[in-house]
Amino acid sequence: MKVGYWKYSMFCCLVILIAIGSVSFDNKTDDIRFVIPKDWPKPVYNFSKNKLTQAGFELGRKLFYDPILSRDGTISCASCHAQWSGFTHGDHGLSHGIEGRKGKRNSLTLFNLAWNKSFMWDGGVNHLEVQPLAPITNNAEMGNTLEQVVKTLDTAKGYRARFYEAFGDSTITGQHVLKAIAQFLVMFESFNSRYDKYVRKEPGGEMTEKELSGLRLFRQNCESCHKEPLFTNYEFENIGLAPDDSLKDYGRMTITGDPGDSLKFRVPSLRNIMVSYPYMHDGRFNTLLQVMDHYTDGIIAGPTLANELKTPMILTLQDKQDIIVFLKTLTDKEFLIDSRLREVRE
Amino acid sequence: MVKFCGSLLIAFSLTVFIGTPCHAQAKIDGYDSGKITIIFEPVFKDKPLMLHDQYYVDDNNDTLYIDAFRFYMTNFQFDCGHYQKEIHATRHLFDASDTATYTITFDPTPGWEYRELNFTAGVDSVINTSGANEGDLDPVKGMYWTWNSGYIMAKLEGRSAVCKTLHHEFEFHIGGYKSPYNTDRKVYNLPTSFLWEEKSDLSNIHFPQIQTHAVIIRIKTDVSAWFRGISLAKTNNIVIPGKEAAMMADNYAKMFSIVEIKRY
Repeated sequence: MKVGYWKYSMFCCLVILIAIGSVSFDNKTDDIRFVIPKDWPKPVYNFSKNKLTQAGFELGRKLFYDPILSRDGTISCASCHAQWSGFTHGDHGLSHGIEGRKGKRNSLTLFNLAWNKSFMWDGGVNHLEVQPLAPITNNAEMGNTLEQVVKTLDTAKGYRARFYEAFGDSTITGQHVLKAIAQFLVMFESFNSRYDKYVRKEPGGEMTEKELSGLRLFRQNCESCHKEPLFTNYEFENIGLAPDDSLKDYGRMTITGDPGDSLKFRVPSLRNIMVSYPYMHDGRFNTLLQVMDHYTDGIIAGPTLANELKTPMILTLQDKQDIIVFLKTLTDKEFLIDSRLREVRE
Repeated sequence: MVKFCGSLLIAFSLTVFIGTPCHAQAKIDGYDSGKITIIFEPVFKDKPLMLHDQYYVDDNNDTLYIDAFRFYMTNFQFDCGHYQKEIHATRHLFDASDTATYTITFDPTPGWEYRELNFTAGVDSVINTSGANEGDLDPVKGMYWTWNSGYIMAKLEGRSAVCKTLHHEFEFHIGGYKSPYNTDRKVYNLPTSFLWEEKSDLSNIHFPQIQTHAVIIRIKTDVSAWFRGISLAKTNNIVIPGKEAAMMADNYAKMFSIVEIKRY
C-alpha cells in the first residue's frame, strides 16, 4: 500500500476533524451520551464510524421532524413515527404518505436501534444509516430521491451551516444526511420502564402479584422469540396470520427469494407495546387481548409456521389478562416524554 | 468560544495549506504528468458507444439502442512482480453519459514495474454492509437499492423492438452481494507491462534511461458482452438479486480488454 501525499493530507484532515469532534463533545454534549444498559448485549452499530456529536444529533433531529424530506413537503419521518407511541404511527394500522397514499405495512416502533442487525418488517435494510432511504424513496411514503433531498436542503434556510457544524463541511452530501439522521435515531433508547427498574431492583420497580404472574407466564410462553432484555430475538417468523387478500404480502421471502421465508416477518420488540397499537405487520389487531386470542385460537398452520407455535398455546383468560398486565410494565414513560427527542421549533 | 473558533480557523488553514499540492498539475497531451491514467472507452463491438441515437446489433442479431450505462469499479491493484502489489482505494463509478468518469488516475511508484492490472467490477460485500458511504458510493448517485439494501453494481438500459415491454425497453439493474448470487466480479491479469522510470541517465550512452512522465492505459469496455448468450426477447428485465443477475455479472466481467499502453 502506497502512502502518498494525498493520503497524508487526508490524515491531517482526519486528525483535525477528530479534534473538532471531541472539543464540541466536551463542550456541550453531556446530555446525548449513548448508554449501554447494565447486562445488555453489545450494540451492533459501529459508533467509531459516526461519532455522536451535539451538532450531528441536533441536525438529525431537525431532519427527522422536517417534511422537506418528502417530494411535496408534506410528510416528515415523525408523521409516521410519533414519540408518544414509541415512535410508531399510533392508532394507524397502515400509514398514509404523500397525497394520502396508503402503505402496505404497519409503521414500526423506533427505539434501541443500535442493537438491530437489520431493519424493516422484512429485514431488507442492512444498516441503520441506509434505513431512511426506504421511506424517503417509497412512493406511498415520501416519494422522493436522496439526490433531490440533498438539492432541496442545499437551498433551504439554515441547513448548510448545520452541516458544517456537524461534519466540518457545508457541502451537503447524501452520506452526511444519512449519518446525521442515524445520530438522532441511535439515541432513541428505552430502558427505564417499570420492568427495567424491577430487574435492576431500583425504586419504582415494584411489581404487583398479577404483574409477576404475567411475567412468569410470559417467560413460559413468549420468551423464546421476544427475548429479554430487548424483547426480540431479531429473527423473522411466521406466526400463523392469514395473509391479507388485498395486500398479498409474503414478508421476508420478498427479500431472500426463499420460499422457506414465506409469510415470515420481523419479531418486533414488545417494549412500549401498550402505546404502539395497532399490532402486527399490517396493523390488524387493535388490542392486546386480540393478539393473545390469536396465539391460542387463531393460528393458521403452514409449512413455514414457527416451531414454537406448532403445538397450540394454552392460556386461560386469566393468564392472558396477567400477561397483558405485565406487558404494561414495559411502557417507558421517561423515553416517551424525553425532551431531547422532541421537535424543536425555530 | 471566540478563542475556540480562532484555533479552529488556524487548524483549518493549516489543513488546507498542507493538503494542497504546491505545484499545479502539468499536462502532457492532455493527460496528467507524473500519473498513470486509465481510460475506459465504451464501445459496442467495433463501434464507439453513443447513448440514445446509435443502433447496435447483438450476437443474437437483435437491433438495440443503449440509453444508460453505469457501473462501479473498486479494489484496483497493480501486480508489480517480486511479490509486490500496489493497491489503490479508488472507488469509481463509470457513467457513459459523463466523459469525466471515463478516466481514473493513479500515482505510480518510481522504479516499479507494472506487470498486470486487477480490479473488481462492482462493490464487495464489506462495502455493501457498511452503511452510508461517501463520494462515488454516496447513495445520491442512484446506484443503491433502498428496500433491499445494497449497491446496484452495474446498470444497463435501452430499447429493442424485440422486447415486448412498455416502450420496448430493457432494463438490467444488476446487484446482490450475498453468496451464491453475489454480482461483484474480479477482473484479473490485464497485462500492462511497463516500467515507471525515475531518473534520466543520459550519461550512459549504451543504455540511456529515459524518465517516464505519464502512462496512458486504454481499456476497451465492450457493452456487447452483456448480451452474450441471452435473447432480449426473453431476458429484458433483471432488477433484483438472484441467479439471472449473477449470470449477467459473469457477462459484464468480460467487457474489459486493454487496447493500448502509451508512454510519454
